[in-house]
Amino acid sequence: MNGIHDLGGMHGLGPINPPASEPVFREPWEGRAFAMFAGTFVFCGYTVDEFRHEIEKMDPAHYLEAPYYAHWLEAFKACLIKYGHITSDELDARIKLIASGGQ
Amino acid sequence: MLLTPDIVPAVTSTGATARVAANVAPRFRVGDQILVNNIHPTTHTRLPAYLRGKRGVIERDHGVFAYPEHHAHHLPEKPQHCYAVRFTARELWGSAVNSRDTLVADLFDDYMELR
Amino acid sequence: MSRPHAGPPESDPAILTRAIESLLTEKGLIDPKALDAMVDTYENKIGPRNGAKVVARAWVDPGYKARLLADATAAIKELGFSGLQGEDMVVVENTADVHNVLVCTLCSCYPWPTLGLPPNWYKAAPYRARVVADPRGVLKEFGLEVPETTEIRTWDTTAELRYLVLPQRPAGTENLSEEQLADLVTRDSMIGVGLAKAARGETRA
Repeated sequence: MNGIHDLGGMHGLGPINPPASEPVFREPWEGRAFAMFAGTFVFCGYTVDEFRHEIEKMDPAHYLEAPYYAHWLEAFKACLIKYGHITSDELDARIKLIASGGQ
Repeated sequence: MLLTPDIVPAVTSTGATARVAANVAPRFRVGDQILVNNIHPTTHTRLPAYLRGKRGVIERDHGVFAYPEHHAHHLPEKPQHCYAVRFTARELWGSAVNSRDTLVADLFDDYMELR
Repeated sequence: MSRPHAGPPESDPAILTRAIESLLTEKGLIDPKALDAMVDTYENKIGPRNGAKVVARAWVDPGYKARLLADATAAIKELGFSGLQGEDMVVVENTADVHNVLVCTLCSCYPWPTLGLPPNWYKAAPYRARVVADPRGVLKEFGLEVPETTEIRTWDTTAELRYLVLPQRPAGTENLSEEQLADLVTRDSMIGVGLAKAARGETRA
């Protein structure tokens, strides 16, 4: 698809600003999100290409603004719901619970 | 299956190749001059938009791989050759760029035609 | 999963991550200890020092270099590096005439067994958008000016091959050991946005 992910040749996205160094995971959640790819791939049922396509279908503004592993989270969400491992209702409820400090 | 700590080393050191042991004839040979198809699928593709309609040369045949277009949507397998295809920077970006510079992209049989 | 309630509020992705992980753990679908092991592997065990060993070996051993350029996957495995996101490798050699640089414009494809996980700039929009159309401008942002007479060859690695650049061996390193040479090989030199470091006492052109 001709989505926001297909970036080759685009102008206006700003400087690269490579830092002198950075940790592999900048925050703990990035490591968990990274590890969940292997953790979910083994049971969920998605293919790597399907996972990539779910990222491509993200809201374009969110795609550009979100940290990298947030792309993976969107794809996990889509695939886990699609394959019936979780429902969007139980995920929403769990997000609310965590956001309110309940867990 | 459940990913457990004891199998993590095997998972990371083995991975999962997309290479397919299928006897599929290549549509192109090294040195062939190709034209990239001007296609705009709304489904998954690994063909970047900036290469569509451009002229390149087959530089290397990587062998046979699963076709991501089909793999993404659980369509019947269509394994095919994937090639390193070389383009001049000027073919892609016009006369203002350095005449020596080139770009190589990995493209599948179905992405191209002979020219 | 539990964490102290004090401290700054979590960002949305942090909450979403915990929500997914806790649901899957309760359902018995993931083992958090396996996630710990994945994190530990890529934080502490797999990284660009692996690729540096490959490069240093190629610099000192012409037979190895020939094997590396002919069948990179097998040659890299000789040194013990293989697997996830390095199942099918290609190594491209920098020379006086050609400077190679790697990108994946569609996502973040990168050779994990030899370089570890990619830096954030490699996965972010500015680099992916610009390095294919203006590699010389991008390399200047990394402090690297490639002569006009050298071809820059940009590899857009969007299929299932993973690439590694074999940088040029710095001048004046004839007497260094393989281990000392590996210390000169930076991650950026194996992506192509930098050069190998100069030997101590030498100045880089």
